[in-house]
Amino acid sequence: MFQAMGVHGPVLSPLSELLLDALLLGTAFILLSRPTKRPVFDSLFMVCLVVSVSLIRVVMEPLPNVQPVTVAALLVGAQLGARRGAAFAVLVAMISNMFMGDGWWTAFQAIGWASIAVAGSRLPLVTSAGLNLGRVCIASVIAALWFDFFVSLSLLDGTIGLYEFMIYLGHGLPFDFLHVIGNLTFTVWLGRWFYNLLEEEPTLEEIEFAVVNGHGIDG
Amino acid sequence: MSRRFPALLLLSLLLLPLASAEYQQSEWGNENSLAWEYGFDSGFISTSALFTGEEILVRTSGNGEPAVTAFDLAGEKLWQRINNRSLSNDMSPLIHVSAGQGDCGEWPEMVLVGWTDGRIEALLPSDGTLFWSVQSEVAGWGVTGEFALDGEYVIVPTRRGVGQYCLADGEQQWWTQTGLGWRNGVSVSESGYFLGDEYGVLWHVDRTGESLSYPLGLGKIRHSPLLTGAGLVVHAQAVSSSTIAVIDVSNGSVIQQFPGGPSPAKPSLHGTSLVTGDSSSLQIFSCTALCRQVGDLPFHTNGELRWLDDGVILAPSNTPDSNWGLFTFDERENLTYTSLDVGIYGFGTAAPLQFTANDQVFTVFGNDQALLRVFTRAIVEVDEPLIQHQADFDWGTQGLLFIIFMLIGSSTVLFLNGKMDWFYRTSSLFFLIILLLILPDLSTQWSKIFDEQFPTEQEEELWNAQWPDSWLDTQIVIIEMDGEEHAVGGLTGHLTVYSLTQEACDELGFEIDGEFTELGYYIESINGVEAKGWEYFTDGSKGVMSVDSASIESSTIVRWTPV
Repeated sequence: MFQAMGVHGPVLSPLSELLLDALLLGTAFILLSRPTKRPVFDSLFMVCLVVSVSLIRVVMEPLPNVQPVTVAALLVGAQLGARRGAAFAVLVAMISNMFMGDGWWTAFQAIGWASIAVAGSRLPLVTSAGLNLGRVCIASVIAALWFDFFVSLSLLDGTIGLYEFMIYLGHGLPFDFLHVIGNLTFTVWLGRWFYNLLEEEPTLEEIEFAVVNGHGIDG
Repeated sequence: MSRRFPALLLLSLLLLPLASAEYQQSEWGNENSLAWEYGFDSGFISTSALFTGEEILVRTSGNGEPAVTAFDLAGEKLWQRINNRSLSNDMSPLIHVSAGQGDCGEWPEMVLVGWTDGRIEALLPSDGTLFWSVQSEVAGWGVTGEFALDGEYVIVPTRRGVGQYCLADGEQQWWTQTGLGWRNGVSVSESGYFLGDEYGVLWHVDRTGESLSYPLGLGKIRHSPLLTGAGLVVHAQAVSSSTIAVIDVSNGSVIQQFPGGPSPAKPSLHGTSLVTGDSSSLQIFSCTALCRQVGDLPFHTNGELRWLDDGVILAPSNTPDSNWGLFTFDERENLTYTSLDVGIYGFGTAAPLQFTANDQVFTVFGNDQALLRVFTRAIVEVDEPLIQHQADFDWGTQGLLFIIFMLIGSSTVLFLNGKMDWFYRTSSLFFLIILLLILPDLSTQWSKIFDEQFPTEQEEELWNAQWPDSWLDTQIVIIEMDGEEHAVGGLTGHLTVYSLTQEACDELGFEIDGEFTELGYYIESINGVEAKGWEYFTDGSKGVMSVDSASIESSTIVRWTPV
């Protein structure tokens, strides 16, 4: 909706844009800066993930409001947790908007996707049997509508009334619907594959620990 | 994993035609070479160039160089007639008249020019000498519409009416008041003349000047109505949409209506084929006993559309970084679009001119940056079959259709076999493709219905008593800066907030800086003032579209305020 309607909020000065980018980058850094057993592997994995999803978003720009990032954020949150999911969302918004147009809306997109990643980490999308595609589909529908609504809030700069805002949201419903269908398509086609891609392989130490621990219990 | 691969392959196949459609480039560039180019100092080329048989005549307008300039085929500038009294955008097409004689006397070969200061001039194409000149009425501006020739007379749509003038000496035979007009050309029929006005009224004026009005109520009529076998065709402009209507000329009733997008272009007829354009699409109709839509493609065009003799359509794309569109339409009713990169970019509303001379085909392009480029190619027999062959089979469309059929077929089979996982996959992809294909029409219709159901109240921008009367019913721009208001009025002919603001800033000597984003063109600073951004209001309502997408009326007041 946001893209298709061609609407935007206030323009940021270069300094404000720099500050916004620094804030987003700082947020992502803080979210990612926690001890990890495989710092190099984890960092490389996150870089590859962010770059590839950003690239997909840029490549798919000609398709109006088809947003692969929404489902990706949901699944990254579900599989890697809230912190890494939110960091992923912030970085993808920032990097892809460097090519697609940076501005005030970047912050709203970053927060929108980050909130979806957090929701993904909290929702019971993963069961003992693996990814529950039905639940992911429902979540991706709600996520599409939530994201479009949240990003539209960037227009509320004090000069647009509630009625005008509602009219604006109403105009965008066909594009919201497209986002929903796009999300469902991504989920049913690539949901499981992407989820498996994110599944963390245990380290040798973890395997050894589990085996020894198992023997200990057996003994 | 083995099942995912072919599925992903199908997805890639689906995306391939979409991606290639964006960047499709014709063989036109290989066949045609740049012969010469000319950059006018400033202004716009808002109407097609004219070839008289010897000279190429180009009309420029705007504040910099309102003129008619003649070039020879090699690009040598022959003469220029400047009209410094021109009020604004001169877009009335140049008319070439062969030598002849009538009751009013004899006239030589000449070119007729209508100016926004109301002057109607006849110039000799060889050296630009003024043969005759008459003054017509001015109300904000004068002549902006297309003339029509009728025997020994020229029929001129003026600002508030239409007049008949002798070709021999320019003497006015009669003038009849109609409605306020803008770009409202006149067309000739057996019974007289047809033209429209800004109030959506279709006028019939007979050859003695007696008028009849038919209030259609469909929107502004800003082109010469077209006579077809099905009736008179007008493309009427409403606030955010348009209607292509077929009118019964005997009683002015509407026989057929077709929906169109915002800001329509001037429709054009080629035999029984009609092409219309607007900010959302280009449509083709076949008009015999009735008009029937036979093709449409997404395209943004608001000015002139050109049919070439071989059935190819050339249209300027009126967007900030635009190219031209080349459309082919064959007898099997396949409409194909190819982007033409001719090396000049930006807003454009002037149709390209194509003519043959010295065993070469010349194609002349001009745009709103007043840049002129002339291309040539040798006449070869295989030209036409090549274009026809291109139109015969559109791999992208056919491939997409094939995929759609595959998806719907496989969805059905998978559903029947109980393979629900794959059924969800194929059916979701099917719906996504269908939705992407219908989205432009769906969103246009949805917005139209939504606007009708929930009209927004507009706070009128008030007329300032200190403004000159000549600004009445014209386009006005107010820029608030450092606590002061800088106002420029008397502007005409702009279709978007962007082009209007550009001209206003040109007059004020302000520089505009901006950038293209995924959301449209974004104005970042005016005269070096960035503030926290700039926002605009049209007639008191805050703009919610990017400036290059926001269409405006002929009497809009645009206000810019720093945030």
